[in-house]
Amino acid sequence: MKLSDKEKGILDGYEGPVRQKAMELIVRYGRIVGAEALCKVTWADLFCGSHHYLDVVSSDDFDIVFSKMSLCSSETVNLETMDSQCICFSGVDADCSEVPDGMLMPPDKKTRNARFLSRFVDAGVVLSGNCIPYLTGFIPLMGEHFVSCESSAVLYMNSVWGACGNGDGIEASFCAAVCGRTPLAGNHLPENRIGTDLVAVNVAPKSVSDWDLLGFTIGRQLPPHAVPVLIGDFPRPNSIQLKAFSAALACAAGTELCHIVGLTPEAGTSAQALNHRKPNQTLAIGTIDMAASMEELNGHGRQKIDYVSLGCPHYHIDELRRIAAYLDGKRIHADTTVHLWTAGSIKYMADICGYTNTIEKAGATLLTGSCPSTRGYPDGVRTAAYDSSKQRISAAQETNAKLFYGSWEECLQSAISGYWEGR
Amino acid sequence: MRARKIITGRGALGGIAEGPAMISRQTITGWGGVDIFTGKVVETGHPLEGMSIKDSVLILDGSKGSNGWSVFFHAAKEAGCGPAALVFPRLDSRTAVTAAVLNVPLVTDIAEDLFALIRVGDRLRIDGDRGIIEILG
Repeated sequence: MKLSDKEKGILDGYEGPVRQKAMELIVRYGRIVGAEALCKVTWADLFCGSHHYLDVVSSDDFDIVFSKMSLCSSETVNLETMDSQCICFSGVDADCSEVPDGMLMPPDKKTRNARFLSRFVDAGVVLSGNCIPYLTGFIPLMGEHFVSCESSAVLYMNSVWGACGNGDGIEASFCAAVCGRTPLAGNHLPENRIGTDLVAVNVAPKSVSDWDLLGFTIGRQLPPHAVPVLIGDFPRPNSIQLKAFSAALACAAGTELCHIVGLTPEAGTSAQALNHRKPNQTLAIGTIDMAASMEELNGHGRQKIDYVSLGCPHYHIDELRRIAAYLDGKRIHADTTVHLWTAGSIKYMADICGYTNTIEKAGATLLTGSCPSTRGYPDGVRTAAYDSSKQRISAAQETNAKLFYGSWEECLQSAISGYWEGR
Repeated sequence: MRARKIITGRGALGGIAEGPAMISRQTITGWGGVDIFTGKVVETGHPLEGMSIKDSVLILDGSKGSNGWSVFFHAAKEAGCGPAALVFPRLDSRTAVTAAVLNVPLVTDIAEDLFALIRVGDRLRIDGDRGIIEILG
């Protein structure tokens, strides 16, 4: 791998031990993938805070934990700053400022989380506290190199904006943000952005929920490593529908880039998206496939619903506007807990628009920063419902509850009656 | 006892290690798919569910799900339950980062269908310098 003099200097420790350790991991990663060079990273969406996987380290010292688990270094080094050319966001939070009953983080963990986040702020990281960086000011332009700990964000920004990022991993994102470099490989190279598989969409997704189900349906049929190219006479999605689609597809298949002919910037035509090559296959998606996905995701029977969690990925303000209008004057069943998740900056808008008040008067709670996957579940949940296939799939590993999946309207209708009202 | 068989690929991370094969064509969901304190696969319905990756040769066809794929394997290693070596027939960015983070022998770029040749529990020797997978029995 060819390193510039600057990069060699970082690797040799001339810019301090933290940047050296970060560069060591990036160079090791680059050699594994056979990268010929590194590229400059200008945006980094990180996974900051005291997340649960860090509990394996028997220390509360930030630098010990960060060195081991982010820099992959047995030697403890002290984080001072992220790379000066890289704009850093903190990603989804391990905590949320609003604490619902039964989801209390123990006081010592709350304090540790705040202490860890404070060190990141000192290092120049913005506390974004969300999984939708692309809706809250994290905007790598076409051809710009970014890292992100959110699989849905990687897929969205690669596909919809033509920015360049790989799935990587949480450690590699931190190291890239510290040393300002990542291997010039994968989606950072134009030749790897060429579509591989055509997907004929023979259904007509109209709602956010339809796009979520379509993402899951394509994802469960795609081979590993595919770059799908969507073709067909289907309704043009908006950015909110693509948010749901990206989360579902990335979760189901690990997809990092998806072209949509006539919509995404590298797919003016299918020939352009495929770079005039023959696709590996044409995967046809029809109503039978969508129904099979629903069958796989949804529980059966009209059972009592204990918990409804909505907003994966975190809700856009327009989704909250629609939900507030739906809930206006209605009342959530006394035995059902409803959590809606969004970004803090979006909740601010919901507050001043009065949506938060309407939602909370109905008995639901609007929360920020986190989700059940990072924050945990309320006690005693036996049944849970989601409007996101990603959250539904993740939940199978996180709770023993019986799981239901449907549109947000079906989830809220169920929360009001107290029983599952979906399909 | 099966005859010894040698399979070659690209040695992407050096060193030599032996261990039982933990192999599945169906990859593990990284986020939540592995118990970080025991190394056990906890993904419901996964062919390796209930088995531990500790000291194994982990062979998977790619990654899926969260970009947090690597940290679960990393955390298991920190808890003393990491794999001894890795084999990814074809790399993606998440599996590559996982290898870089675990820093154990890695063989990749394998043309043969490993999933038809190797069974769960087969004893393997991985040479990450020369890119060799040896089925010991």
